[in-house]
Amino acid sequence: MNFELSEEQKMIQQSVERFVQENYDLSNRIKISEEDPGFSKEYWSSMAELGWLGLAFSEEDGGFGGNQIDTLVLMEQFGKGLVLEPFLANIVLGGGSIKRGASQEIKDSIIPSLIDGSLQITLAYAEEQSRFDIEDVATAAREENGGFIINGKKSMVLNAESADKIVVVTRTSGSQVDEEGISLFVVDADAEGIEKENFPTVDGLRASEIIFKDVKVESTSLIGEKDKGFSILQAVVNDAILALAAEAVGAMEVLYKDTVEYTQQREQFDHPLSDFQVLQHRMVDMFMEYEQCKSLLFRATMETVQDPSLSQRTVHALKHLIGKSGIFVGESAVQLHGGMGVTEELRIGHFFKRLLVIDSQFGNADFHLDKFTSL
Amino acid sequence: MDINLSSEDLAFRDEVRSFFEENKIKSGEDYFSWRLGWFEKAREKGGWDVPKWPEKFGGPGWSPTQHYIWEQETAKASIPFDLPFGLGMLAPILMNYGNQEQQDRFLPDIRDRKVNWCQGYSEPGAGSDLANLKTKAVLSDDGTYYTVNGSKIWTTLAHVADWIFCLTRTDDSGIKQQGITFLLFPMKQEGIEVKPIITLGGSHTVNTVHFTDVKVPVENRIGEEGKGWTYAKGLLEHERTGLAGLSKSLVELEQLKDNARSIQRGNGNLMDNSSYRSKVGELEIDLLATEFTELRSLASAAAGGEPGPESSILKLKGTEIKQRIQKLTVEASGIYSSAWGDKGVGPSFAKGGTAGYLNSRYFTIYGGASEVQKDIVAKKVLGLTKGNSK
Repeated sequence: MNFELSEEQKMIQQSVERFVQENYDLSNRIKISEEDPGFSKEYWSSMAELGWLGLAFSEEDGGFGGNQIDTLVLMEQFGKGLVLEPFLANIVLGGGSIKRGASQEIKDSIIPSLIDGSLQITLAYAEEQSRFDIEDVATAAREENGGFIINGKKSMVLNAESADKIVVVTRTSGSQVDEEGISLFVVDADAEGIEKENFPTVDGLRASEIIFKDVKVESTSLIGEKDKGFSILQAVVNDAILALAAEAVGAMEVLYKDTVEYTQQREQFDHPLSDFQVLQHRMVDMFMEYEQCKSLLFRATMETVQDPSLSQRTVHALKHLIGKSGIFVGESAVQLHGGMGVTEELRIGHFFKRLLVIDSQFGNADFHLDKFTSL
Repeated sequence: MDINLSSEDLAFRDEVRSFFEENKIKSGEDYFSWRLGWFEKAREKGGWDVPKWPEKFGGPGWSPTQHYIWEQETAKASIPFDLPFGLGMLAPILMNYGNQEQQDRFLPDIRDRKVNWCQGYSEPGAGSDLANLKTKAVLSDDGTYYTVNGSKIWTTLAHVADWIFCLTRTDDSGIKQQGITFLLFPMKQEGIEVKPIITLGGSHTVNTVHFTDVKVPVENRIGEEGKGWTYAKGLLEHERTGLAGLSKSLVELEQLKDNARSIQRGNGNLMDNSSYRSKVGELEIDLLATEFTELRSLASAAAGGEPGPESSILKLKGTEIKQRIQKLTVEASGIYSSAWGDKGVGPSFAKGGTAGYLNSRYFTIYGGASEVQKDIVAKKVLGLTKGNSK
């Protein structure tokens, strides 16, 4: 067993760290977030130029042949700056679906443009009734004249505002909650019958509700086999959980360190706050949660790289712990910063919001505890 | 011990209910004229417009049980909004420490809801350690007015307040609890600048307030110069017991359950989910206990004048309960909890739920952070003296 990153991974880690330090102070982040399209196209191009967008794609697809550990390295550093660029939506969700099941023709038409940053994609999976159950899919794809007609509504679709392509999870057979009978299609975001309602999210990102009304797709747009899309979706969601967990670990590190620093500076009752034992212990708890999350992140990621068919339980464990600990660390950071912690003026509040959103994505702490204990 | 309400108390409850029923806002009625009319009618009932004021100042002189009934019924009824600053915070100070002239000048307008007050206590360097405040008030040579300079922070609704009651420093030669002077002055005057602070929930309720050479006539000073801390301390305790808000939490808990039941899961709903249901159950158990802690506290206050030791935990438990209700609302909203802004996607209760949760983090910070509250309980109730804070 070895926890050392490779030389290349260390170099990438340092370069992402530098990128975040140079570009992601709070005021710049707020500015980028508030202006359309909600991220910096310039930064996105830089990320492409630096090769970060191609890390997780195979060499045959034009990438660098990396795996989830490379994504971990990126996302942990992104988490330290609350990076807004849509890496998760494009590379992990959209790109992750394409690379796992799409025909060579679709891969060739999409992956190189994802890697060079010229194409934006996303994954539309959640629905109004589905809550956190990814197999709960009502959006229907009905076969007609050799193609498919899609009808339904998708919720909380990340990056849809900027997406050129949407991978949409549909039901082609079975009942609404069957794993069997789920099919993935890639469609043009401006196809006839697609209607988007865009809105900001709590963490300063963007999401959309999308209505599909009689949207026509060719059968060649199918990703993987018809009715067999669930295993692709599951693998993509697991990758997304690993990526979000890495981002959360980065965010938790900032929160506990900022809190330690603040309590050493802030004086009340003629002492720095850090002199008070009750606050020291709270910070030790924050630190412990951060370290435990990091350990479980490494464990789940390494197990997935080794054999994804054996890592499902650990992935559930990870998302549970990240949700619970992330909110604990966020709430504690706010509490220890006092009134200042509840304002938009310090960065800790923004990190807290991101951790809160991460808990609500791909299943919250309760959901994954149930999954973990039932496996 | 008897848990039953007496027949008099039951009659009182019915009277309160029918008062609320008869005076509900009618469709098309102007809110603000309804509000003022409502308080007028409440006044005619015998001080129902100022339930917590002593009889001597026009209050109803209710028993603890009657106060409890009132709080329960107001949490459920639709009654006009009210602000605590003048009515619940400043008024008791005026009654206890203000002179006759000050009482005559300020209390009627507070009672008539004519003047909005804000509280100038916390400062950038004086949060939990409130006595560390530095806003300076210097008495003029002729002894007729003070000149105030300094800054206040977290001043709730300062941007709509007409007047402020303000702690200032007139002497820094002794220990910091000495040399604090309690002044009242209008907010809309030269030398006062109010700047908004936007909280995590995206709302503007609190402010920073800067004073530059603000002149305050000496007759606007409450009590003696340098004794302001003593006056404010009594008020702080008043504020702390008023922050529990348990009746409201009970109503919100029922709403929370309804919301969770509206989320369909399989053949049931979110309340059938064992993890979620356990958390709601634990919350309700805490509320049942805390509600009786509050009743015991009210009863002992009525019997002996001083609230018993149990009252010291009310703010701690009450604020924590409110935060847990908010958190469970966020959880019930599921994926939609991350939507932001006015648009509102997902179930109707999801809109604003996360903003409410984020702002609720303030509950365990303002009016004395929970850590400071526990220090006070340790020292005052348990007699543990070896703490750093006071």
